[in-house]
Amino acid sequence: MKEMLKMILVLSLICGLSGLTLATIREATSERIEEQVLTYVQGPALKQVFSDYDNNPVKDRKSFETTSGPITVFPALKDGKLVGVAFETYGGGYGGPVGVMVAISTDGEIVQGIGITTMKETPGLGARAAEADYREQFRNQSPKEIALSKDGGKIQAISGATITSVATVTAVGEAVKLFNQLKDKLPTAWGS
Amino acid sequence: MNRLWKEFSKGLWKDLPPFKLVLGLCPVLAVTKTAYNGLGMGLAVIFVLTLSNLLVSLLRKVIPAKVRIACFIVVAASLVVCVELLMQAYAYPLYQQLGIFVPLIVVNCIILGRAEAFASKNPVHLAVADGLGMGIGFTISLTLLGSIRELLGYGAWFDMQVLGDWFQPFTFMVEAPGAFVCLGLMLAGMNAFTNWQRKTKGLEAIEGPGHDCKSCGMCAQKPTV
Repeated sequence: MKEMLKMILVLSLICGLSGLTLATIREATSERIEEQVLTYVQGPALKQVFSDYDNNPVKDRKSFETTSGPITVFPALKDGKLVGVAFETYGGGYGGPVGVMVAISTDGEIVQGIGITTMKETPGLGARAAEADYREQFRNQSPKEIALSKDGGKIQAISGATITSVATVTAVGEAVKLFNQLKDKLPTAWGS
Repeated sequence: MNRLWKEFSKGLWKDLPPFKLVLGLCPVLAVTKTAYNGLGMGLAVIFVLTLSNLLVSLLRKVIPAKVRIACFIVVAASLVVCVELLMQAYAYPLYQQLGIFVPLIVVNCIILGRAEAFASKNPVHLAVADGLGMGIGFTISLTLLGSIRELLGYGAWFDMQVLGDWFQPFTFMVEAPGAFVCLGLMLAGMNAFTNWQRKTKGLEAIEGPGHDCKSCGMCAQKPTV
């Protein structure tokens, strides 16, 4: 009996202490990790989605409240004027959520481009969503026309990866919805 | 002091983890595409192995024998998550490269093997020396393997182009089969060297598995229940 109690006590204590340590380290590094992710994951995606800008979208990012929680918006400025905004939305892919960076023009009429940020799709199939051939189909399209060709839209699905293709289109649709919520706040947010 | 040096140095040659103990081969084969990746993985293992040996050795009198494996795993897993977080915070590109192999350090046989076979039976200073030695041996092996593969596969070393345009990169070396072939040749080379060394000392050459079981004790472990 005593032995059993000792076992339970020691194991619980070790687990508790390790949990505490991990929570502390997580707390201490979370800010820096966020920064690193912005530089190495979202930064390159932003370069893909915006074509004409002269600011640093990562540095100028701002957080906005939406009905589905806060969202980070990256602006593209040209000569101090806002030409487009981008933010990350998710669609359910084959191997988990597919993160898509969607850039939309300030008036909301045009999707300027998309970039894939995070995904765990099958290499050679779903993972081809990150390739330019697929991504470029979204460039400068009207949001109304962004749907897979089988649904009457202009996007040719990746062969063998319908789920991933649907995920990216869903994410863009989500982004357009969010944009409409933020529409009124955006033009004034970066002082132009 | 002599004992301390002995425990430290055995990881560098006599019990060199990937080549003499042939333990922890999963990262050895998977992440050694380049010397830099090998070095990064090795450093993460040094950190985890040394601290896990330290903690296990400190706790060895407290941990009940029946739940020791669970305790060792919790210690190793916590340390690995620490490494993962720190790597994300300070070396994100390396983290992207090593990917899933960082969390997999938890199940690297070396960590549990050293905790069970050495740290749980020896005082703290020896356990730390053992962890450091094994970790450094592991790092050197990984970096060496990575260097060979990178040199032949890309004609580069630590991302610096060393071989000129005349060199036709040998892409096979940076694919998975290249890792096996390279590791096998290195093992064969080391065994040949050991046998040559024994011959010059007038000893008989070792045929077959050349590991000295008496001094290692990795497989002769009896649970201390």
